[in-house]
Amino acid sequence: MVNYFLDIFANVSWLAAMPSGTQFVLAALMTGLPLFLFVAINALIAVYAERKISAFMQDRLGPMGQGVGLHAGKWGLLQTLADALKLILKQDIIPALADRKLFILAPFIIFIAAFVAIAAMPFNQHILAADFNIGVFFILAVGSVGVIGIIMAGYSSNNKWSLYGAMRSAAQIISYEIPAALSILTVIMLTGSLQMQEIIKAQSGTIWGILPNWFIFNNPFTFLAFFLFFISGVAETNRTPFDLPEAESELVAGFHTEYSGMRWAFFFLSEYANVFIVSGITAVAFLGGWQSPISGYLDGPIWGLVWFFGKVSFLILVMMWFRWTFPRLRTDQLMRMGWKYFLPASLVNILGVGLWDLVVN
Amino acid sequence: MRKYFSNIWLTITTLLTGMRVTLGHVLRIRKGFVTLQYPVERWPRPERNIGFSEDSYNVIRSRLTVDMDDCIGCLKCERACPVSCIKIETEKVEKGEDILEANHRGVTSQGTQKRLLVTRFDIDMTECCYCNLCTYPCPEECIFMTGGPNSDKHGLDYEFSEYDRNDMIFRFAKVPEDIVASYKDKKVKVETSRTEADEGAES
Repeated sequence: MVNYFLDIFANVSWLAAMPSGTQFVLAALMTGLPLFLFVAINALIAVYAERKISAFMQDRLGPMGQGVGLHAGKWGLLQTLADALKLILKQDIIPALADRKLFILAPFIIFIAAFVAIAAMPFNQHILAADFNIGVFFILAVGSVGVIGIIMAGYSSNNKWSLYGAMRSAAQIISYEIPAALSILTVIMLTGSLQMQEIIKAQSGTIWGILPNWFIFNNPFTFLAFFLFFISGVAETNRTPFDLPEAESELVAGFHTEYSGMRWAFFFLSEYANVFIVSGITAVAFLGGWQSPISGYLDGPIWGLVWFFGKVSFLILVMMWFRWTFPRLRTDQLMRMGWKYFLPASLVNILGVGLWDLVVN
Repeated sequence: MRKYFSNIWLTITTLLTGMRVTLGHVLRIRKGFVTLQYPVERWPRPERNIGFSEDSYNVIRSRLTVDMDDCIGCLKCERACPVSCIKIETEKVEKGEDILEANHRGVTSQGTQKRLLVTRFDIDMTECCYCNLCTYPCPEECIFMTGGPNSDKHGLDYEFSEYDRNDMIFRFAKVPEDIVASYKDKKVKVETSRTEADEGAES
């Protein structure tokens, strides 16, 4: 999108007269601001959906608007908006003994790590902030910068719960980064490219004329890799059942115990941005991104958006389904799962996909 | 090695069982949710019966109400109240006088002549202990608890919650300020003239 705007600028005379640095900043802003808005709206909708789904799973109704006066609208639709307003208006508390600089910086680092990754997310054939030729690698690399922010938040809060949460988070994200990267490697082996659009284009067509040629259906090993990647992704977003860093019942709120108001909202925003990214990469790498489920049918750019968001929303719903079904793992169980089950399985997957590629294709 | 794979199998099957349970709840939500959307939906009220076989004793302990048209300002309820949550002030008026602005008619529904204008009748329901002792001494049966045997006089009101604590003091006397002031002035005049007369008599 940045290149697209720069091309437009080159054709408009008064814009072309500006220095190239200014043009680039302007183009980046025009790409970035809608993305920021998208992240915020994504969080609003996801929080509402999460509250409703959790309520339905527990036979409750969730946020509802009833009666006259101040209420949250029909079906509680305005609830998250009211929450956001509340968070903006809340007092900004920084503990006296906190490391002020790190404390202030940490939420922004976490948010930026989540936000920048969206730059490489292809929404359809054309809408894509930056089509890196190392797209997958970029998202994986930037995504794990977030752990630095979490450790900063935990350390600077000067609070034992925060520090515990941060240490757990570091252990968890490092453990699950490896199976995630190894399972997405199977897809890269099949496409021979790290570029997101190339990966999606490689998934056009059908298998045996029925199934769409998505990598999840390509062979049994990629089928397994889909689950490995998705579950590792859930673990990286620090959501239940892998929410040890912020385990409410043992660590108060983990690494963001001391945060309140807008600073806390940034943690929240980045959690939902991360949820979107993990679902997005899973959709791109295994479920054909913006490809239609019926090959060659309803395939335009607008339908591309519909398919992409449909797949991503489905995966987000599955993540919420996980969250409200499973209890939290213990630290040793988490580590055992990561190192003794996921890592060998993803290694076997790579071997299997290599052999499959040699024998079948 | 067999244990390793059986563990994986056990994990997958138990996870799927759990997910099936929660999905089932999502799909059946309209049939069995437990939330009561209170101001709109309410639990059914219990029967208006606290155990006596005779109906007039089955007094439900709800909000106190006063029928000001019948109140003669005798202060019996104020004296009966064990927690002093009833506050009454009265002014003397001519026998049988109607003060229509204060909704004060000279005769009660039982035919008693009213000689007092009740300028203040406050019941602090935050203090009320619902003992019902004030309702029995009332000669005109004008103070009563809502609902139950009195439901023809006043509907049941058991959830009188307010945003402000001051609104829990229910003020029944609706006498305009100027009328109260005029009666107080008259009283002062009478007293001063009386004291002047006394002083005159002494001297």
